[in-house]
Formats: sequence, C-alpha cells, structure tokens
Amino acid sequence: MEHYPEELRTPPVMLVSLVGCPDLHPAVTSFLHSENPPMNTLALPEFSKISVLSGKKQKDGNDIGATSTGGILKRDWISKHRTKVPSVVAVFFAMDRVAGNPAQWQQVCTDLDNLKIAIHSRNIKLIVVLVQTSTTDDISEDLMTLLKKRAEIDGKFFVVFGQKDESDIRKSCNRLCGVFSELSNMYYREQVRRIKGRIEKKNISCFELNIRYCFKARTFFAIYWLEALKLYQDGYHTLHEVIKDSKRLPPIQHLVEIKAVAEQFNFKVSTLLLHGGKVAEAIVWFRKHVTTYGQLVGASEVGFLHWEWMSRQYLVFAELLETSSASAPGSVSCFGTPDNPLTEWEFQPAYYYQLSASYLRERKNGLSKSLLASGFSDVADAMDDSLDSVIPSVYVGQFVRLLEQGTVISMLPLNDAEYGCYALSEGKKVQDMFEITALFRRSVESFSSLKASRMSSYCSSRVAKEYFASREFVNSKQLFIGVADLYRQEGWVTLLWESLGYIRECSRELGLLREFIEFSLEMASLPAFSFTGMDIPKNSLEYGPGGAPSLSRRQIIQEEAFMLLKENSGPGDGHSILNLAEGQSIYLEIDPVSPLRTALLASIFFHEQSIKPGSSTSITLALLSQLPCPLEIDRLEVQFNQPECNFTISNAQKKLSALTLEQQGSREEIAPTLTLETNTWMRLTYNIKSEQSGKLECLSVTSKLGPHLTICCRAECPASMEGLPLWKFEDLVETFPSKDPELSFSGQKIIQIQEPEPQIEVSLNASGPALVGEIFTVPILIKSIGHEVNCGELKINIVDARGGGLMSLREIEEPSHNSLDVELLSVSGISDEDDSPRDVENIKKITHSFGVVPVPSLEGWQSWSGKLTIKWHRPKQVMVYVSLRYSPNRMVTAPHKVSVHKSLQIEGKIPLVIDHSFMLPFRRDPLMISMTKPEDESGQMVSLSLNETTILIISARNSCEVPLRLVSVCIELGGDASVSICSVHRIGGNFPEHPLLVPGEEFKAIFSVIPHVESQKLGVGSIHLKWERDSNSLMFGKDTDSCVSIEQKLPDIQVELPSLIVTLDCPPHAVLGEPFTVFVKVQNLTSILQEVKYSVGDSQIFVFSGSHNNATFILPKSEHVVAYKLVPLNSGHQQIPRFTVTSIRYSAGYHSSVSASTIFIFPSEPHLNHDGSSTGLELSAPLSST
Amino acid sequence: MIVCVAVIGQQNNPLFLQSFTQEDDDLKLHHIVHCSLDVIDERVNNPKRSGIAVNEAFLGLLYPTESYKVYGYLTNTKVKFILITADPEVRDADARNFFRKFHVAYVDAVSNPFHVPGKKITSTSFSRKLRSIVDNLGSITTV
Repeated sequence: MEHYPEELRTPPVMLVSLVGCPDLHPAVTSFLHSENPPMNTLALPEFSKISVLSGKKQKDGNDIGATSTGGILKRDWISKHRTKVPSVVAVFFAMDRVAGNPAQWQQVCTDLDNLKIAIHSRNIKLIVVLVQTSTTDDISEDLMTLLKKRAEIDGKFFVVFGQKDESDIRKSCNRLCGVFSELSNMYYREQVRRIKGRIEKKNISCFELNIRYCFKARTFFAIYWLEALKLYQDGYHTLHEVIKDSKRLPPIQHLVEIKAVAEQFNFKVSTLLLHGGKVAEAIVWFRKHVTTYGQLVGASEVGFLHWEWMSRQYLVFAELLETSSASAPGSVSCFGTPDNPLTEWEFQPAYYYQLSASYLRERKNGLSKSLLASGFSDVADAMDDSLDSVIPSVYVGQFVRLLEQGTVISMLPLNDAEYGCYALSEGKKVQDMFEITALFRRSVESFSSLKASRMSSYCSSRVAKEYFASREFVNSKQLFIGVADLYRQEGWVTLLWESLGYIRECSRELGLLREFIEFSLEMASLPAFSFTGMDIPKNSLEYGPGGAPSLSRRQIIQEEAFMLLKENSGPGDGHSILNLAEGQSIYLEIDPVSPLRTALLASIFFHEQSIKPGSSTSITLALLSQLPCPLEIDRLEVQFNQPECNFTISNAQKKLSALTLEQQGSREEIAPTLTLETNTWMRLTYNIKSEQSGKLECLSVTSKLGPHLTICCRAECPASMEGLPLWKFEDLVETFPSKDPELSFSGQKIIQIQEPEPQIEVSLNASGPALVGEIFTVPILIKSIGHEVNCGELKINIVDARGGGLMSLREIEEPSHNSLDVELLSVSGISDEDDSPRDVENIKKITHSFGVVPVPSLEGWQSWSGKLTIKWHRPKQVMVYVSLRYSPNRMVTAPHKVSVHKSLQIEGKIPLVIDHSFMLPFRRDPLMISMTKPEDESGQMVSLSLNETTILIISARNSCEVPLRLVSVCIELGGDASVSICSVHRIGGNFPEHPLLVPGEEFKAIFSVIPHVESQKLGVGSIHLKWERDSNSLMFGKDTDSCVSIEQKLPDIQVELPSLIVTLDCPPHAVLGEPFTVFVKVQNLTSILQEVKYSVGDSQIFVFSGSHNNATFILPKSEHVVAYKLVPLNSGHQQIPRFTVTSIRYSAGYHSSVSASTIFIFPSEPHLNHDGSSTGLELSAPLSST
Repeated sequence: MIVCVAVIGQQNNPLFLQSFTQEDDDLKLHHIVHCSLDVIDERVNNPKRSGIAVNEAFLGLLYPTESYKVYGYLTNTKVKFILITADPEVRDADARNFFRKFHVAYVDAVSNPFHVPGKKITSTSFSRKLRSIVDNLGSITTV
C-alpha cells in the first residue's frame, strides 16, 4: 500500500483558506485539524499572496479540457484540492484597522475587492471575520453592515472573532468552523453540479468524463461514505466501458491506464467496505475485480505487467485485510455453500499473500520470457538514451517522453514499442526473488499459525524453489527437507518426488556426496511408475531437477548414484564436485523409521523361540529392496548381541581374499549369489548355535555394496515389522519375508537360549517335625551326576509356609534379642574327599532367614554334604529353600551358570506342655483369713499357709509325635538363695532315671513347698525341665548338647498365717465290727480366744459315740481335740460321718471332704505284710486322690 | 470444465487422481488437492463454524485458486473426494449430483473383491466411469 500516495490512502479532506491576521492562523488551523472530519487550511498571512487562489497558474490543468490531451484521472488532482484549491476563504480584519481612519477603511475595501476578483473564477466562497483587538472594542452595527455589503455576503457568513480569553477564542473558532463546514459543502455540491452539468451539456457519452465525475464527486462528498461508495462503484463500472471503447492511446498503454485507474477505484472501494466492517462484501468485490481484470492479460510481450498488476492487487488487499480491524465476522458460517460462496481462507490475509507471491512468480517468468523474446539487451542499448527521458505523465497510468529543445521542454507520447522497452527496462530493475520469498514467508507464518500445515508446506516449497533458482542451496535444501517430511508422512509420492529432486540437486551442488547418495536411493525407491520408457510429460521441467517421476527416471537416478561410488570413478573424474576421496567410503544407516527402508530392508527371524545351549537352530535373513535396478551385494555381515555368533555371508562371485582376511576368526558363509531383485525377497537361511544361555538377538545386517558403500540395516523381525511406507498404499501383491505364513507374522529376531540341564543332585532331608527349643539339623547332600561344580554357591532361604514373616507381631512390638520364631543358625559342610570339616561356619549370613555359603569345587561323581541348623523359638511351619548355583565349566570367567533348586517344608512343634498345681496336705486344713473374704483380683493368687507344707505337682505332657526322654525336672528358687523364704523339696516321683514319654503321655513330679515368710506375693521359682529326643541317644550317644532345657516360671503365691488348723486324724482302714477312734484336732494359732462349734452327721454304716453338736473355746496357741469312737457296720470303702467345724469369729466352717472321710473297712482282720511298701501305699493315696 | 478428480484415503494419502486437461499440470493439481485437505480438516474439526450438518457429506467449495475452484466431499469412512473445476460458477446441485455419482462409482470400485481397502485404486473401469460422469456433467455446467 505504501506505493499509493497518501491522499489516496486517506479519506478526502476539505481545504479552507485564511487571509490576514497571521497571528490567529495557528490557533484556527489546529482547531480545524482536530475537528471531525478534519479540515486542511491554506494560510495566507498577507493579501499580496491571494493570487494563488485565482488558479490562473493551473490553467494547463483544466479538468474538463484534459480529454483532448488524453487521460482519465490526473495524478495530482486530489492533492491539488487538498493543498491548493480551497473551498472557502476567510478574510480576517482586525477591528482597529477597520474602524480607524478613512485610509484604513479604503485599504480594507481594496483588499476585499482584490480577493473577490481572485476567488471569482473558482467560485470560492467567502467569509469575513472581524477580529476584536481589545476587550473594550465596541462593534457598531453600521460597520458590520458596511463590511457585509462590501463583501457581498450573507449576514451569517460574517463572524466576529472574540479573543477575550481562551474560551472566547474557542467559541469563535467553533462558530467559524460551522460556517466553514456549511460553505464547503455548498462549494463542493456546486462543483459536482457544475461537472455533471457540463457532462450533460456535451450530450455525448463520454465514459472518461463519467469516471472522472465519480472520482471527483466522491472527493467532494467527503463526509458521505455511503454515497462515496456508490460513486466509486459507478465509476469503476463505467471504466469497463472504456476498456472496449477508447482509441485515445495505443492498446498496450490504454490497458495499462485502465488497470491503473481500476486499481485506484478498487482500492478505495475495498478500503471503504472494510472500514465499514463489510468484510464479506469486500471479499466478493475483490473477487469480482480480479476475475474481471484477471482476463485482461494484454499483449504477450508485456504480459509480465499484467502479472505484476495482479500481484499488487492481492498484496494490497491482503494488507488491507490485515490492517483492517474487522475480521471474519462470527455470523459468517457455512463456508463454500450457495448462501455463502466464500471460503475460510478468503478471510485470511495469508491466502492473498500467497496468491500475490504466485503472481509475482508469474511476472518473473513472464519478464524473463519477454526479455528473451525481445532480445532486450540489443534493443535497450539502442534506445537507452530515449528511455532515460520517459517519465510518468500527469495522468494516472500514462507515461510520456520529455523532449528538450533548447529551453523549451515538451512531452511527447510514446508508442507501444517504446513503452514495451521502457517497461522491460524498468521491470529488470526489480529484484523479484526477495519480494516473492518475503510474501511466501508471510504466508508460511500465517498458515502455520492457522494450523494449515499443507498450505504452509506448499508455500515453504515455493520459497525453497526461489532459493534454488537464486542458487542459495543451503536454505533451499533445509526448507525442502521440512516439506518432504510432510509428504512422506502422508504418502504423496509425486510431491515428495519433486522435493527430493530439489534436495538431491542441492546436495550435488553443495558437494555432499553422502546425502546425494541417500536422497538418490530414496528417490529411486519411491513407488513412481506412472510413466514408463519415453512417455515423459511435456512439462517435465515443472517437476524440477528430479524430472518427472517414472520408472526409467528412477533407474537413471539409481545408476547415477552407484556410478559415483564405482571404484574406478576416483578423484579427478568428471566435472562434478561430487567426487569420492581416496579411501573414502559412504556408510548409511537404516533404522526402522528411516525413509531408506524402501531401498533396503533386512528382516531377520529365528525358526524357533527357544533352544538349548549348544544346539543349533535356523535363522533366516530376508532382504528386500524397491530400487528399480538389481542390487549386487558383495558381503553381508550379521551382528548379534553375542559377538561370537556373528557371521558373514560372502558372495561367491565376488569373494575377495582381502575381505576374508579382515574377518579372520569369525564364521563365514558363502552364498552362490547375492543379487537383490526389485520387490523380491532374498531369503538366506543358516544354522546358528550359541553356548551362552540368555537372550540371543540379531542387531543389524551390514551390506557391502562395492568397496565404497556400506549400508547398515537395523534388524527387524516380521512380528513387529511395519509395512514399507508409501509402498503399502500401492496396489501390489503383498509379499512376506518367509514362505512359512506362521513365521511371516510371528517370526522374532530374538531367541531364548535356555540354561543347561543341571547334572547335580541336591537332596534335603529332615526327620519329622522340628521341636521348639532344639537345634534342628537338616542335612544337605550335593552330589554330582555328571557336571563339575565350580564356583558353587549355596543359598538358603527360610520363609513362612503360610506367607507371613518369621517374626510374630507380638515380638515386633516388643523387640528383644530373641524375637524370631525361627532362626537359621549355621550351615556347615563336609566334603567326602576330605574328612576334615571344611568351610565350617563359613556362612555369609545375611539375615536370620537367609544364608549364602560357598560350595567347594566338585569333580564328576563327587559329593558334598552339609548341615543346616535351624532353631525354632515358637511353633511355626516354614519352607526351606536351597538353591545351588554353579558353573559347569572350569573357566572362572564363564558367564553362564546353572541353578538347582530344592525346597522342604518343616513344621516346628511344642515338645512338652508343662502344667502345675498346689495341694494341701491330706486331712489337714488351715483356715486363712483370705479364704473368708470374697474373691477379688488378689484371690486369683494361690494362698499358702505359713510354715505349713503344701504339695506342688508338676506335670509334663508330650504333645508332639516324637517319643521324648525326660532328663531332669527341678524347681529353682528365684531370688537370693541365702535367705530362706521358702523351701521346696522333691518328695515324690519315684520314676526311672530318664523316663521316656511316648506321644500323649504325661509325667508328674511332686514337690513340697513350705513358705517361711508371710508375703502377699512370693516368687516360688521356676520349673527347669530338660529333655531330649529318644532317638538322639541312640543316634549320637549321650550328648549333653542334645538336651534341651525348658524353663517355665511358677506363678507367685500369697503366704499368710492360718488362724485355725483343723486336722482329721483317722486311720486309713478299719475292721468290721472293731471300734476305732477318730480325732478332730482344732489348733488355734492366733493370740485370741477362739470359739468353735462342731457337729457330726449321722451315718448308717457306723455306730459312734460322742456329742452330735457342741461348742467350745480354744485358748490362744493351744489345741482342742475332739475324739469319736466309731464301730463300722459294713465293709468296703465307706464314708465316716462328716464333721463340720465352724469358727464363730470368722464365720467360716470346715467340712470334711468326701475323699478325706473315706476309709476302707476290712471284713475281718487283714494279714498284711508290713515289710512291704506300706509307705508307698500311704504316699500313693494322696497322689491318686488328684 | 472439470479439471481433476481425486480420492483421498483416511490417512490423507492419495488413492486416486485423474486429470481431464490436455495440459500436463499433474504436479500443480497434486498440490491443489493436497492443500485442500487443510480446508477439509478445518471444516471437519469445526463443524459448527463451517455449518456442516452432521450427516452432510458434501463439503461445498473448499477454496478458489488462481484459476480453479476446489470442491470437497467426505464419506462416512473418512474417504475424501476432491473436484477441481475451471468453471467460474458451479451450481450447488450440479456439484452434489456429481459427487453422488462419484461416490457410487467409488463404492463399486472398492467392492471389487480383489481390491484391498486402503490401497490405491487402479481399476480402469473406475477411471472410465469417472470420465463418463465428468463428460456428462461438463455439458451441464459449461453454460
């Protein structure tokens, strides 16, 4: 837009003139400028300057007369009405100069007359302004009337300009402005009427005049936009008529002029529409404009002028659209429908920039064609001088030649030939390339921001083409690479072909051999075969340096690339800068996302999924190429993750000794031929074996093609192989890397090499359950049945069989040194070779449940045995896992090892359940105070009487399934042994030295307990019990280590002094009919007199003497004895009459128990052997009573 | 005059492109068709703004180039049909009618049991059928 003059780019402005009183001009001028619409002012400080208003100097610029000289619009017409020809003249007279002496009045009259004469010819309107010079000025009515009369103006056009203060000046300016506006409008209307009248008077249809009228009328109707728009459109439409009609100018220049005028009209209309927010209308208008004039190409020799003009139209419209505040209105929808034929892009400046750039390219092409056709340089030289004097004419779109003849300068019209030369010489000066790239770059940015990647890529490719044309290969290549990516992704082969052709050529020009080869191979392997043989499209130049995509072209490109790499085409060959340096070779790497996959694809698959080490399997190497000419491969190198499996395949026809030397030591296969035909899989199958267990993966296949080209393909497997991009859309028969359909879909490039079968036996034995407390031994035997054991390592792991931890929750809360349920104590081993214990305790115990121990090297058929010692602290079922990991080979560095696993479940059980109970002596009952009290918490505790014997019975029951031998049972008193607070003695348990307890059997031991101290809480001590497995004594002999001791604390007891002790003294047996005496002794141990009542029940079995009921007092610390004589009347076990003793003081009674009151009655005097174990009978009686 | 018709696959890859001009401007037509996919994307992604009804396959005028107009059509399977015409004015009904016939021809072509969906259409009968549709339509639109 910058090339348009400012008066065309901005709305029309009124021009008024100020004459006289120059000191007021700045204030008035700035006020008028700030008005809306603004007014321009032409300030004339003195009356001597008024001649500029007469317009006599502009005689040659008479508007209407211009038709005869030829032309539609004058270049400077708008400017003239903005700066030179005012519509109104305001003449300022100072009050003091008017109302002074008569000479001053005379001067005023003269000035007014002169001014009237000056403005008369143009019909300019006049305003008289009387300026008050002081605040006291009094303006007489007479003076005003005189002035108005003299100036011949209406009263309202006489203004008194007050300048008392700021507001007064402002008010005056405002008033003046109103008058200016009114008169200006009047003036411009008259002008319009005058022009129209003159057109009508001519009575002929003169389109030029009409056009001019429209243009001028618009300028005069400065503030009426709608009318203005209509006038411009009318003018524009009238212009169409001129196209066909005019004979004024030679045809080429005529068209140029028409287009120049149309351009101005279009600019004004578009601007007005866009400023009015009518974007859609503006676009429709513009579309019509370019459609109409787009066809008017004109003469071919200056065709480039047309493209230049078109380009400018789009550029200007794009800029207008971009700068216009109005964007695509939200109401616009349904693009591209009959209701709204506009499309999305047409609302975007980017679209117009792109088209502008395209036309500029056309211009560039047209210009070069025209230059070629005209042989311009010769013509130009001839006409050089005359062309220098060509200048734009006073009319828009016309050019003339200045001719100086002495002092006279005249303008001569040009003929079309001269104009053509002038246009060519001017056209040559323009650097199209920069403009084209700048426009396309603007489009790229805009389209990218609109996420229109394809449009953006298209524009990018145009920029790249321009760079290519101007030999800026680096920029060009970079842009084309970006563009090619999109085409590659979307599979647009033709477009990709074009881009690659340019990139390839850029690489060639930049001397980048590797890239040249790379892009040549990609191009050659594209699925382009629309043209074959000689069937090349006529405009194959359109496709750029790559030529039209065809099979033959692909072949040429491939051959050209391989030619460069031939051995004999060394340095110094040819004119190309692409030369292979001595010893240089090209290395290409093709990964699964590389576009070169189409050139060479390596698919590798094993025929099996897993194999044993050392056994062989088949591997197939399938290669595919889409290059049009067959590929002759010299050698293939197949690389694995296990380098010892790598192998090479050499072409038998090209086998070179040098090649084989390189690969000494590795496996080499010979293939009869390694020629890769187009789109045909070359399948090579070989056996492969690996000694190393684990994963064997094929990594890559490197192909050597001649001495200078190496292509490394990353191995792909059929199971995860993507189809070839671009080729997958082609309607070709699909081929697979393997003939076996299963392998074609599931073949893997990875194979699992299994671990070798272990030839070692590991046995783990345990005899029965483990018992809590004992050190449980689990023997391990490692026996070789073929393999050697080297670097053996035995891992032991103990886990809870139920899945829990080996530590119970209770112990985690209260950690102690012995918080584990099960603990691995040690692992010891004995080799059968060497009897001396080796590696004993060489355990690397990591935790209580895990241990690692080295296993000595074993040769074939040797064995090693060891023992695991585990201790159970609490009953629990555990799994013992043992795993041996060893290397069957002597080589220490051998990475693969063999593992053997074994597990055993062992249950830990409680061996003995220990219980205890306290018993009073037979028929002797103490009365203690605590017994009489209601039971409370302390009542839980066992109460024993002071200094009285109490029987303690300890029982141990075998609760496991193993016979156990009891070694000892004892009670150890706690606390200080020197202070005798309690004496405990074993009084019973006349059992074998080490009694054997079969499962479920119970053993009892009897102790007497005599407390010596009165105490609320007295510790009796703890039970210490030692046991051993019955089998242990048989297996290992008397080993004290095998004894397990159990300690169980006895509960605390309460010791108190009894108040009374009742003793029933009764013989154990009697004879029928023979009397015997029963004594009931009541002992008062207190220091007070005790009253007791006693009674005896009747019995059918006995006859007895003595009182039934009685009461007595017992003195302190004394004893009272009551005796009854009884005669049994019946034999057998009989109950004597029951006695009851009641203490009145304590309200407590004693009732003899059934067992205490039962005796045996012999029918007659027995004959007992008194030497026998009568004591045993007596002693066993209390025992049995439990 | 219809200059070119094209079938574009779901992945925006060309499946078929036939030009009906004497000039060999295949490359230019390829560019035009490829760029028109941007407009289709825009219309499909902003159906409200573009005012396309949910089940409306005809996309209308996509964009005008210097000398051609590009129309689009989207099938239910996201296959796009592109029509490039040199006619300054094309009646909406004619365009719709053309695409309807085009669609029928396409369905016939891909129903061929030997055609693999997603691959380029190489059927000569499809090409012939299209040419006859274009010829018939040409006589109507060039008013």
